[in-house]
Amino acid sequence: MDVVNATGEDRLEGLRMLVGSAAGVAARDGDLKAVRQLRFGRPGLDRGRWSEISAMGWLGLRLPEAAGGAGLGMAEYAALTGEVGAALLPEPFIEAQLALDLMGKDAPAEALSGDRLILPAWLDAPDGLTIAGDITEAEGRISGRRRFVPMAAAADAFLVVSSEACWLIDAKAAGLSLEIEDTVDGGHTATLILDGVEADRLSAPDAKALEAAALATASALLGIMERAFAITLDYLKTRVQFGQPIGHFQALQHRAVDMEIEIGLTRAVLHDAIEAFDAGDDCRRITSRAKARAADAAMLVTREAVQLHGAIGYTDEADIGLFLRRAMVLAPRYGSAGFHRQRYGSLTEGRP
Amino acid sequence: MTATASLTAPQPHADLNLLSDTDFRAAVRGWIATNYPQDLRSPPKRLHAAEAMPWYKILSQQGWLAPGWPREYGGMGLTPSKLLILIEEMERYGCARLPDTGVTMVGPLLIAHGTDAQRAYHLPKILSGEVIWCQGYSEPNAGSDLAALRTSAVREGDQWVINGQKVWTTLGMDAQWIFVLARTNPQAAKQKGISFFLVPMDTPGVTVRSIINIDLHDEFAEVFFDDVRIPADAIVGAVNEGWTIAKNLLGFERLFLGSPKQSEGALDHLERLCDHLGKRGDYASLLNGLRMELEDHKSFYTTFADKVRRGDTLGPDVSMLKINQSALYQKIADRIMDVAGELGTLAGQVPDAPTLYPGSVFLQARPTSIYGGSSEIQRNIVARQVLGLGR
Ligand SMILES: Cc1cc2nc3c(=O)[nH]c(=O)nc-3n(C[C@H](O)[C@H](O)[C@H](O)COP(=O)(O)OP(=O)(O)OC[C@H]3O[C@@H](n4cnc5c(N)ncnc54)[C@H](O)[C@@H]3O)c2cc1C
Repeated sequence: MDVVNATGEDRLEGLRMLVGSAAGVAARDGDLKAVRQLRFGRPGLDRGRWSEISAMGWLGLRLPEAAGGAGLGMAEYAALTGEVGAALLPEPFIEAQLALDLMGKDAPAEALSGDRLILPAWLDAPDGLTIAGDITEAEGRISGRRRFVPMAAAADAFLVVSSEACWLIDAKAAGLSLEIEDTVDGGHTATLILDGVEADRLSAPDAKALEAAALATASALLGIMERAFAITLDYLKTRVQFGQPIGHFQALQHRAVDMEIEIGLTRAVLHDAIEAFDAGDDCRRITSRAKARAADAAMLVTREAVQLHGAIGYTDEADIGLFLRRAMVLAPRYGSAGFHRQRYGSLTEGRP
Repeated sequence: MTATASLTAPQPHADLNLLSDTDFRAAVRGWIATNYPQDLRSPPKRLHAAEAMPWYKILSQQGWLAPGWPREYGGMGLTPSKLLILIEEMERYGCARLPDTGVTMVGPLLIAHGTDAQRAYHLPKILSGEVIWCQGYSEPNAGSDLAALRTSAVREGDQWVINGQKVWTTLGMDAQWIFVLARTNPQAAKQKGISFFLVPMDTPGVTVRSIINIDLHDEFAEVFFDDVRIPADAIVGAVNEGWTIAKNLLGFERLFLGSPKQSEGALDHLERLCDHLGKRGDYASLLNGLRMELEDHKSFYTTFADKVRRGDTLGPDVSMLKINQSALYQKIADRIMDVAGELGTLAGQVPDAPTLYPGSVFLQARPTSIYGGSSEIQRNIVARQVLGLGR
């Protein structure tokens, strides 16, 4: 049976099992020591965990069964990125998935099995969801530039994307140089300079893959804020000042309620966006709503979480700050809130 | 007052209070432009003592380190209005914040409550930069509720023995001395049994561990006291009077927590970021709105500064200034993240624009609503003491 078209309890049960199975690699309440150990290092991820993730079949999740995938939908995908987000895993699950989506039937088996990590390089501006142009091709070699490729130091290969084609290049190929910068969350991002790099030309990209990545990122942001909020609620109940838990102060109760409202709004719009995506509609407007809401809400919730922790929240050693810094990194990815508000506006123009 | 006589030496300048405000401002502006170390202009992070020392020494040699202290103690004895001008000009030029706890807190404390011997010993060392001070108030379980502090000081013979722990001590790893609030009467009501002590950081039993902040800077520290023995005369003021003394210290300084400086710096950063992205025009309305809010805050600041200029004491309503300053600063920092896109995710400077570090500006704006009395606590103060809404 086609899972995406399955309805009601069957699909929900499947989702619950999927999320349950995720706990082994991406635990919502797991300790964050392992995450901390990988920060600011290269390659910055755990290849062992990457193998586990692929062994669970997550990488081919959305590919049709004929192409070696599981034929699952956006609901399943987003459920997993929510867990990965909450666990603060540094592994570029969404990026690897995007590369697979873009390659479709051309996706190499080693990529699906997790042995070869392929990361997409599609952006040349600091913001947006628009595939950059300006890749020149001559005699099977490409030249140009791509920026903001997350976790690039871990890649075995890159999928260079332009509006007319995708090219697969080896990470060690001659003519490819990487400029790597640390990001606040302890990961990194790279600029790829391509100067006559030998490349396998694949077909043109399907822009819908980027919509899926944006929704998956919105869901990761939701996971981040849910967990940051849970940690903060706990702190409000246990931190004592003036002889009582600080959660007894009405001023802080109201702040917690406002955070909960933001989380509820994000969950609601994300739910609708995922449903529209799986129904095969043109879901760009609602994807923009979901990504804009998730980005803003995650920043608000994690900022407030730090504030409600007081000075300890401003330290590197307190876990709550890890959530703020990951939110800072994911909020602009696949289009910032500002970008998506603008896009929503231009897609809405002329509509009744 | 033999003790103070020895402090009158470094006064190379005439009484600047005699200048008109306009002339004074021009003189100060010119002097800063000539003397300020260029490599320390608008630093991206709070400087450590060693980094700030060149500027500390320049001010020290000029006799301008302690503008608010009376001239008899080696200060400039500036009137409040001149002092505000000096501070404004330094902020305007992007002068780095000094490790200034000695100047802003210990000096005024000793001038008001210290003994002649304490003044004679400590003030010259602050003025020369020989001793950097840090503030030991907060504890793990005494933050907003400072009066709950548990660090104890027990009298044994001619010594005090201190045990306990302080935390969030800004630049604690750089300091040679710390001033400490400690409990001297565990039986008394919370605020009544606290005393004020001066402790050399190299006393046996003092351990400092630096703490890394969320922007990965070792800005503050934990300080542990394990049977730390200090002489009987290391107390400031009377036994069990520490709370009152500490409260009095929070006078004039509260104005500076509301200074528009941080918001101004952040808005400048946002404008330069827009220029870098070639989007100044796209964000014109945002920038204008924030500029207007900043100007409004400056007007608000001026109403409080005018009180200080007239020599009035600031009331609890000055808390509103700090609330608004940190809110505006954080709002601008939030917009910086909105505009920066992927550039805001970088841990350091933007590679091709090293004066831009949007992620750091955002992170550094976080604690302004926490330190110096959190925005929640300031709102409680205004609600109770200004609006009369307390129980
Ligand atoms: C960068 C930085 C530098 C600092 N430097 C120093 C220093 O040099 N020396 C020093 O002694 N201390 C220093 N501090 C400590 C600072 O004074 C404390 O952080 C502050 O008093 C808050 O205490 P806390 O961190 O324990 O938070 P908590 O008091 O635990 O507060 C946690 C949260 O609860 C809220 N809250 C608490 N009580 C109430 C209430 N009654 N009503 C509503 N909300 C409430 C707070 O606003 C906060 O959001 C520094 C702090 C920072 C962040």
